[in-house]
Amino acid sequence: MASTSRLDALPRVTCPNHPDAILVEDYRAGDMICPECGLVVGDRVIDVGSEWRTFSNDKATKDPSRVGDSQNPLLSDGDLSTMIGKGTGAASFDEFGNSKYQNRRTMSSSDRAMMNAFKEITTMADRINLPRNIVDRTNNLFKQVYEQKSLKGRANDAIASACLYIACRQEGVPRTFKEICAVSRISKKEIGRCFKLILKALETSVDLITTGDFMSRFCSNLCLPKQVQMAATHIARKAVELDLVPGRSPISVAAAAIYMASQASAEKRTQKEIGDIAGVADVTIRQSYRLIYPRAPDLFPADFKFDTPVDKLPQL
Amino acid sequence: MPRCDLRGRKQSFSTTPMDADSDVALDILITNVVCVFRTRCHLNLRKIALEGANVIYKRDVGKVLMKLRKPRITATIWSSGKIICTGATSEEEAKFGARRLARSLQKLGFQVIFTDFKVVNVLAVCNMPFEIRLPEFTKNNRPHASYEPELHPAVCYRIKSLRATLQIFSTGSITVTGPNVKAVATAVEQIYPFVFESRKEIL
Repeated sequence: MASTSRLDALPRVTCPNHPDAILVEDYRAGDMICPECGLVVGDRVIDVGSEWRTFSNDKATKDPSRVGDSQNPLLSDGDLSTMIGKGTGAASFDEFGNSKYQNRRTMSSSDRAMMNAFKEITTMADRINLPRNIVDRTNNLFKQVYEQKSLKGRANDAIASACLYIACRQEGVPRTFKEICAVSRISKKEIGRCFKLILKALETSVDLITTGDFMSRFCSNLCLPKQVQMAATHIARKAVELDLVPGRSPISVAAAAIYMASQASAEKRTQKEIGDIAGVADVTIRQSYRLIYPRAPDLFPADFKFDTPVDKLPQL
Repeated sequence: MPRCDLRGRKQSFSTTPMDADSDVALDILITNVVCVFRTRCHLNLRKIALEGANVIYKRDVGKVLMKLRKPRITATIWSSGKIICTGATSEEEAKFGARRLARSLQKLGFQVIFTDFKVVNVLAVCNMPFEIRLPEFTKNNRPHASYEPELHPAVCYRIKSLRATLQIFSTGSITVTGPNVKAVATAVEQIYPFVFESRKEIL
């Protein structure tokens, strides 16, 4: 029957027979009922049931018994504010053509910056097609950082970009700083600084990036077949295991591995193309390639079909 | 445990060896010592800029740079009387240079009192005889070490107790910054066993 049994703070209505009894609310009928004797004490209290009937076969996307946008309680601390809409029809416009009642912006001022940041995060994530779980994680991280206030002086966009980077890392699908840079207006330097500050503020750490994390993305962007991708992954992993490329960024090693694998297969790609996709300069690919070239026969997987044999690989 | 020789000073810090087998002597080369001191009097920067030798006046910022030749030192002079001295290669040299600087300011006519001399930062470089595997090192030293190959090719290792930061490169070269020379030497000694674990064996 009743949903809530709350303490009746205002002793306006009590059951005449049982003045101590706590009245129980029936929200459906709008009644206040005494639990002892069942007497209906209050009548026509506000009914919170739905205002009109809805039928399940209606197939309407909107649910007419719901009002307002879906709440985001985890993030926005309660979103129960009202915005005045833009106004349709002739009556809502002034004589000069300006709309009457322009002010529709003042809402939840405490979290406005945060909501702006969430919007920015969603926009950025959209540009590189990140799934919703990463966006949610980013939002959570941003909220934590924002509430801590230790990075208050930094631009919100910078913190948002850094949170996006960290979220991608934490989900196991890291994006390079350059990729995040491409969808954000903040420089790589600033994102890097914010990244370190956030890790310190939240006292977390992230795993190191490996060459394999980027292989599938880079290879798909270059339209390389699966064998080439697998070969490149193998080459890069072997190169790191044998420590042929000390001190080189894993991205550069991955790019060089892709170059080697593609040059050995039918689908050849130039250094410039790979550098474009990976965000690595082609001289860097050349440097890393020179380091892995001597051991090329060992790096290829055993079952690789060579279109160009190993000794005919380009030497730079 | 390595015996660290600090070049520039004729003393070597001998440490109690933890594992007595390797007694490697590591040369720690101090490249920069930064110190600050006060002259306790207001300095007229314009006068220094006009009459002083080897000065650069940065009017937009409000400071004068004075470069000394004998201990090779660059000093940043503010009109409040606070002076920052960089470029010395040892603590003693920093003090000589600072005093020399105060003397030259005195000759220009200011009532200089040499107070509050403090060495603020010491930068030193050390070379390990082996190369280092950075990913392995980072994994073993999780909270203190941070490695971001995309941002910087070195591992940044912070020792909170000494307030020292070490940058460890894969070639085996290590850059240390700390509040004084002793902290720097201690930092190198502390890091040596960890770095030794993750070294690259020469085949």
